[in-house]
Amino acid sequence: MTINTFVAGKGLLYRFDPRAKLLTVILLCIWFFLPVSLVGLYTVVCLLVLVGALNTGFSHIAKTFLSILPMLLFMVLFMPFNVRDGESLISIGSFTLITTEGLEQATRLAGRFIGITYACTLLFATTVMQEVMLALRSFHLPYKAGLVVTLAFTYIPFIAESFSQIAESHSLREAESDQGKRIVQRLKDLVPTLTSALVVALRSIPNLAMSLELRGFGSEQKRSSFKDLSSYRHPFTHTLLSCIMLVVFWVLFRVQ
Amino acid sequence: MQQNRNALKVAMVAVLTAVVVVFTLVVRIPTAKGYLNLCDVAICFIAFTFGPWSAFIAAGLGTALADLISGYAQWAPISFVVHGVEGLLIALIVRQKGNEAVSFVRKLLAGLVCIATVSLGYFALSALFISTVSVAAAEIPGNIAQSGVGFVLGLGVASAVKKAYPPVRSLSW
Repeated sequence: MTINTFVAGKGLLYRFDPRAKLLTVILLCIWFFLPVSLVGLYTVVCLLVLVGALNTGFSHIAKTFLSILPMLLFMVLFMPFNVRDGESLISIGSFTLITTEGLEQATRLAGRFIGITYACTLLFATTVMQEVMLALRSFHLPYKAGLVVTLAFTYIPFIAESFSQIAESHSLREAESDQGKRIVQRLKDLVPTLTSALVVALRSIPNLAMSLELRGFGSEQKRSSFKDLSSYRHPFTHTLLSCIMLVVFWVLFRVQ
Repeated sequence: MQQNRNALKVAMVAVLTAVVVVFTLVVRIPTAKGYLNLCDVAICFIAFTFGPWSAFIAAGLGTALADLISGYAQWAPISFVVHGVEGLLIALIVRQKGNEAVSFVRKLLAGLVCIATVSLGYFALSALFISTVSVAAAEIPGNIAQSGVGFVLGLGVASAVKKAYPPVRSLSW
């Protein structure tokens, strides 16, 4: 199971401060909902894709787009038929099939969806998870919450591996294969596997709690703490640049 | 003593969050229209076994992390809210004092609340922030099926785990 979304690279985005990147993604997601022109919306989306391509490569873009393609197609094909405002574009007899307003809304929705998806994907592709956590910590995410997320990421591969082994063991004990079975029977057969996997996971809780205590969790003088983001030297400049860029986009592309 | 309890709570929520991620990403049952994932099984199990706060945090955080990992980051805040509230509400409905059994009526109510929270929550939030009313409405049947199946399986798994690993009863908070 792959839980790493980071794509190794040396581009500009990799050197950009993680706090500024996180803030930019949040502001960008809000920006996509502002009343901007369609040309402006797609200009920003294209710029985003271009920046992404220069940093993570075209194969990563293709992978991202392929993953959202079914939903995007569904959105674009379904939406124009549901909006009845505006002038008729395509009609069969007296029945209007697609209107200008419907087409515009579908195009806007697709652009917004691509933009938000790609901005979020780019953040996690160019920032290691530990730095995302540190950035969140600098925005006052509680220490315990950060620790829970970090520990969860550590335990995901262990639990996934245990689950796969247990599922294989259970399937080897069964005489019939899953192929001919009805879905209800397959779901019923899953209960023993899920139970065993959960018991294995639950048994690790006391050990983990003990490890945390031994490392001084909760004591006044901390024996361990998060690493910091001091290697990024210009957090203020990067944040300011991001904010200025978004304000410029807003001024240029807002609907008058 | 309080420090020990805090360490146990952090360890428990972390492991349960990882369980929700694994059940969401690894276990997929093919259906005619795509895949059913088992995040609701894990959420219902946690709600039935560990109480409201564990259910809220582990369910919300686990599904949000699963969305981040699988490349659907824009759904993460929605999943956090919908599944977090799902876990919290189920746990509050089935919460019992001591060892008394949960009545059938409360289980039924919890099941209905689970289905309603997931299907309506995703419908409302995705129509508001990501897609449109018509696109979001098309996902309601799939969400009803997934949460319904998840609830029934979660109920069975919770009872089986309590029998197989009795110390789990002492971990609720």
